[in-house]
Amino acid sequence: MQGRLSAWLVKHGLVHRSLGFDYQGIETLQIKPEDWHSIAVILYVYGYNYLRSQCAYDVAPGGLLASVYHLTRIEYGVDQPEEVCIKVFASRRNPRIPSVFWVWKSADFQERESYDMLGISYDNHPRLKRILMPESWIGWPLRKDYIAPNFYEIQDAH
Amino acid sequence: KRELRKRRAFFISAQQQAEVEESQQVNAQEEEQEKMKQQGKQKLPRPVEPQVNVKSKNMSREYGGQWLSSVTRHVRIYAAYIDPVTCEFDQTQMDKLTLILDPTNEFVWTSETCNKVYAYFQELVDHYEGAPLTEYTLRLIGSDIEHYIRKLLYDGEIKYNMNARVLNFSMGKPRILFNDGLPQNVQ
Repeated sequence: MQGRLSAWLVKHGLVHRSLGFDYQGIETLQIKPEDWHSIAVILYVYGYNYLRSQCAYDVAPGGLLASVYHLTRIEYGVDQPEEVCIKVFASRRNPRIPSVFWVWKSADFQERESYDMLGISYDNHPRLKRILMPESWIGWPLRKDYIAPNFYEIQDAH
Repeated sequence: KRELRKRRAFFISAQQQAEVEESQQVNAQEEEQEKMKQQGKQKLPRPVEPQVNVKSKNMSREYGGQWLSSVTRHVRIYAAYIDPVTCEFDQTQMDKLTLILDPTNEFVWTSETCNKVYAYFQELVDHYEGAPLTEYTLRLIGSDIEHYIRKLLYDGEIKYNMNARVLNFSMGKPRILFNDGLPQNVQ
């Protein structure tokens, strides 16, 4: 099962792995972190000029961390734009993924949130620091092995 | 090593004078305190030198207009020296932590229960020695003290102040049975 983009990437000799299609029939590809920056530039040149969403999740306890990019090709006079979903997996020990901020500027706050919640450090991001949690926070709250600190909160007020 | 300042409340001058007296008494009682510790009955907090002529420093906008703190309802911890009488806030003394205990007077405090909390505070600060001085650490300390206050309340050592300005029983409704299992009268 191979989508259009996958076939195009194969034709140009770019390394990737097809993960099939999601429920809307959008092609999903896996790309290695070390290839991701160059392939992001290639995809931008190919025509994916809109990063619709960037998010991250923890795949499994003790497993990999994933960073997900939804790309769309916006053109005039097209009512069914081409879309693709890219997943980049990084190891939990040293999660480093190249930032796509310099390709799609809208990745700025999204990558900061992914960094804040899962601790994926995006190389070459201009100001990678916590965005939701206080800057002195310890730990990555959305990882599956995160243990919440026993902070006091008012629970019984009437 | 950080020194500690402790104070019960901001606004009641009588209690603040009592606090000064307490610390003098503590000076006198130092030897007794060691014995008490050996017996393990009640810990007294270590004495703290009161400072004179404290001025507010580093509070203006040029210094960022912010301070390191952990603020919950019953425990406010500031990384600064705060004068108990004049409320001057000296941010140059970041090596000290000031604890303001229950500023809204939700509980009835005696000097004995206050000292328990102060001693626990000093114990916690000793435990966290070497940790970075950040809001996260302060909040860990403050939360532990809040849990300790809740334990005191559930053990019946302190009780709600029924004349408090806000009566919303933030640590649970008053109950008949306390942790010791004996029925007691609830105000």
